[in-house]
Amino acid sequence: MKLLVVDDSNVVRSRIARIVQRGALGPVTIVGMARNGQEALRAAMQAPPDVVTMDLTMPGMDGLACIPELLAIRPHANILVISALTDKSTAIKALRLGARGFLPKPFDDDALQLALLSLLKGRP
Amino acid sequence: MSGLSESDLRLFVDSVTRYFAVTSRTPPLISAAYLGTDPVPRHEFNGIVSFSGRFSGQVIVSLPAMAVRELLLIQHETDLSESNLLDAVGEIANTVAGNARQTLGSGLEISVPVTSRGCKGRQPPVRRHPYVISFRWNTHAGLVCVDLDRVA
Repeated sequence: MKLLVVDDSNVVRSRIARIVQRGALGPVTIVGMARNGQEALRAAMQAPPDVVTMDLTMPGMDGLACIPELLAIRPHANILVISALTDKSTAIKALRLGARGFLPKPFDDDALQLALLSLLKGRP
Repeated sequence: MSGLSESDLRLFVDSVTRYFAVTSRTPPLISAAYLGTDPVPRHEFNGIVSFSGRFSGQVIVSLPAMAVRELLLIQHETDLSESNLLDAVGEIANTVAGNARQTLGSGLEISVPVTSRGCKGRQPPVRRHPYVISFRWNTHAGLVCVDLDRVA
């Protein structure tokens, strides 16, 4: 699995990378780490990801703006939104824009692995 | 402008409790909730999220350095630099504030977090007496300052 991690927090990006690399997801290659939507688009152009973990609240281009643009350049990317914005309307908006899953913050290691496994099982 | 209801405040208590319970498997013990006076007490590392829309003001999560370091070590983070400690406390503030939208409503806009060490960049409070929720997590003290008013 080629993974792109998008979050404005360095602590969260590193944590996601550590969890996926020691888990039950099989071999994982981190193809990029991005701090906002613009960086995510640049990273996805350089190295196509299979899976993207996407924060929503970020400086510059936020996650909701990034999702359709990222899918326009990488239509087969599976996007898992990981956000503290846990209200139902935000989750629905993200899914309507093309995200495949939504994991609320805070999350523990098992919840992240389960969310990614579910996403990968359901992928085309 | 009007203040927050008890259930609005309960939301922030629940949110900070959940953050520590999920991230460290040790929930904090809420030690007090009171109306603070300016200057509201602060610890060394502060994460601040501003609210606009149906509510106006800010929510501040404030922790001593030792608490943030311990929280990072629990997450197997080895970078304990000042910038990572600030990043971590900003992420806690972002999570606590973001979770609040679930109940306060999506008409509420929240900013990306800003962080500060000590008293740098301290803004005057919106409320004369902001709500202060103090807690203990493991052996460390921490607080959440809810300096918000409902916009009429």
